[in-house]
Amino acid sequence: MSIIDILVTIIIVTILVTIVLAVITYIAYKLRLARRPSPADQPEEPRYFDLHRPPADAGSPRTGTVDA
Amino acid sequence: MRERAIGLSIFVIVIFVALTGAFVFWAIHSPAQVQNFLIRMVVVTLVIFLTIVFIRYFALLWFGYLQHSESGFSEGEEATELPPVSIIVPAFNEEDVIERAIESLLGMDYPTFEVIVLDDGSTDRTLELARRWEGVGDEVEIRVLTQRNGGKARALNAGIRQARYPFVLCMDADSWMEPQTLRAAMRHFSDPNVGAVAGNVKVENRDGILTRLQALEYVEGLNMPRRAQGFIGAVNIVPGPVGIFRKEALEEVGGYDTDTFAEDADLTLKLVTTGWKILYEDQAITWTAAPSGMLDLIQQRYRWTRGLLQAVGKRKKVLIQPVPDFPLWLSVLETAFEAILWPAMNVFAHLFFAIVALLFGMGELLLYWWVLLTLLDLVIALVTVSMEEEDLGLVPYALIYRFFFILFLDVVKTFAALEEFLKKKNTSRPTPVGDRTDSPGPQSTRL
Repeated sequence: MSIIDILVTIIIVTILVTIVLAVITYIAYKLRLARRPSPADQPEEPRYFDLHRPPADAGSPRTGTVDA
Repeated sequence: MRERAIGLSIFVIVIFVALTGAFVFWAIHSPAQVQNFLIRMVVVTLVIFLTIVFIRYFALLWFGYLQHSESGFSEGEEATELPPVSIIVPAFNEEDVIERAIESLLGMDYPTFEVIVLDDGSTDRTLELARRWEGVGDEVEIRVLTQRNGGKARALNAGIRQARYPFVLCMDADSWMEPQTLRAAMRHFSDPNVGAVAGNVKVENRDGILTRLQALEYVEGLNMPRRAQGFIGAVNIVPGPVGIFRKEALEEVGGYDTDTFAEDADLTLKLVTTGWKILYEDQAITWTAAPSGMLDLIQQRYRWTRGLLQAVGKRKKVLIQPVPDFPLWLSVLETAFEAILWPAMNVFAHLFFAIVALLFGMGELLLYWWVLLTLLDLVIALVTVSMEEEDLGLVPYALIYRFFFILFLDVVKTFAALEEFLKKKNTSRPTPVGDRTDSPGPQSTRL
């Protein structure tokens, strides 16, 4: 096998491997993207504090003891 | 959505492999006459491909050289007028870098400017850290504003509305600027027809092969075409990390649109549409972080390609106008060329030549083609790196630049373009502020 044949083989293999690698990476990227929750799926987090409304019985004094 | 994405990808690959297989089968079993015809077609295709590459390379080099020799800026050079400038820094979750960006602005060698940091609803300490700098500069006013998270375009528009001066510099919070940037760029605005000046974006993180290849791409493939376009006043993309605008021009076109993923390319085309000249200044230097992972890089290019096609799609009628507005026609054509025509042609040519070389034993021709293009890449890399006084260590990367890096990205761009043509919903989010994969002036502009 001459040096030219070796170089040609390297070039052809590089081209084909690069294209295959790019396709695989692209699919991996799409999979990663698909696994992320889309903005529409995410519940919008409240940006401001909500007014805290204590439960009706919260004001009554607790009775009993705290276990040590 | 996941199933659809996989299904579409598999469908495209199967069709492509089937067509290639059919071609190979047909070529092998064809009579000698047909094979001779095929070989002639291969040679003709090769010559056409190389001709396009050469013409493009030398046109860009020539106009780039003219621009470089005409608009050289030397430090200490005094412009006749240095009007005040508002610098807008949109930021979203940039606690690691926001202070460095502000610090670099305070070191700017320019008489009058203000800094507007626009926090786009960050959930980290960006706002707190930025506010520490309010009132720090003696001569520079730093204002820190915050808004509900709405994406980069909205943040920039909000900043433009708040700007008090007649010129606006838009930058990214993950970038930092060299001190001469404003002084170098502002001298171009003495021409009242100049609406914007594109700066020179450079890759800061050069700690791996991928980022060094991108550094070379920015110099050879991004700045060189931009320099050539600047010679005729029709730069097609003012990059996000460093763009200087006449505020009047921004107001005339209504600021940034929010309907594309390449808001900077879209804005630039809007400015060209309204007749403003767009120039390039290589001494307006901004350093930015490039994606260091393969998937992040793919995400960046995917967004750029779809964004560019969206921007072109809004102006596709320009391409078929009987008497075109030349700068606009050139800008739109260049953008379409970069986004889809060239990547698709490049992938096809590589695959075609590789298969034909295997089938017809034309390996030597393929070798000469490779040697010719690689030599060309090396020469261009040497010229452009020297012109920008960049690191000469980037030049050897030209050996794998085209046959690995560019080919790899072009496959991704071809898929992205296909999805855009199929109007497939883009499941990635609107351009976030400060995302490493956002659109810093789609760097897809390249040789």
